[in-house]
Amino acid sequence: MTLAASVPDTWIGTLMRTVRESKKIRALDAAREEEAVAIACGAGLAGGRGAVLIQNAGLFNCGGVLAGLVQLYRIPCFFIVSYRGDGRDPVYYHAPKGRVTEPTLSAWRVPFAIAGRAADVEGQVVRGVEAAVESRGPFVLLISGEDLA
Amino acid sequence: MTSRKPLLEALAGLLTPDDVLVSCLGANARYLPHLTVPAPVFALCDSMGAAIPLALGMALQRPDRHVVALEGDGSLLMCPNVLATVAAARPSNLTALLWVNGHYESSGGQALPSAPVDWVALAKAIGIEHVARVADVASLRVVFPGARAARKPALLVLDVAFDPNEPIPPYSERPDEIRARFRIP
Repeated sequence: MTLAASVPDTWIGTLMRTVRESKKIRALDAAREEEAVAIACGAGLAGGRGAVLIQNAGLFNCGGVLAGLVQLYRIPCFFIVSYRGDGRDPVYYHAPKGRVTEPTLSAWRVPFAIAGRAADVEGQVVRGVEAAVESRGPFVLLISGEDLA
Repeated sequence: MTSRKPLLEALAGLLTPDDVLVSCLGANARYLPHLTVPAPVFALCDSMGAAIPLALGMALQRPDRHVVALEGDGSLLMCPNVLATVAAARPSNLTALLWVNGHYESSGGQALPSAPVDWVALAKAIGIEHVARVADVASLRVVFPGARAARKPALLVLDVAFDPNEPIPPYSERPDEIRARFRIP
């Protein structure tokens, strides 16, 4: 990747700290998630590779830009999305988001995978990027805080 | 107040092969295929508010190119937060032109919420370093090269006449055609 556009939460913020240390990836702080998607797409259209790092609450903001930009123009766009409210999340108020994350992605016809530490997160990231490039569209890797530990 | 087409024609004449043009949906995108533009063009037909962040991503990826974004006031009113993102990123090669006509022209000419938004003041307050108002074609010919030369994030606010009977051509290029043709040398 050449650029990672992000709106942080606790987990994504942890990940972005690592991204900021990279000499290859430009870390870009966006004010809102739809912008992050368009910024990543712009980097891709200009010859780089853009990623979007956001929480699932922010993902829910992105239905319009996913359909009207990423899918309509067939732009590869890789997402890492913190899966708040899944079964492993200890914070109770995230639960409603957890319940609708996978159904939302399915309804939007956005392919996704759920990362797991036992399954080699690094390899899942590589395969997710490849899936976005090959399909010329979005691919979402859902991560838990445990995967970042 | 100046109508859109002469401003857009003048802008096309000011662009060079070292520029990249990203257009918002609507009239600008619909006119552009009928103009001679010497720069790569990526035109949106949906996704209001995406032009400036899309251009920002391009500008960061290609610092050797000057990226120009066209955005409408209706679109930016949905996401003025993007100005903060641009101000923070501080690209030296991004100029956004905001076409202010107070209407959602593409969706039937409905009026925007009737708040007296001062875009120049807002952009300055949020940290955009080079902000200027464009009143007509003559001022565009002065202000646009000045923005490009400033090497700072720039927003130019164009006051544009709204004409509900303007014969805007329909979209004439499909997204896959636009995407396939778009290359920044």
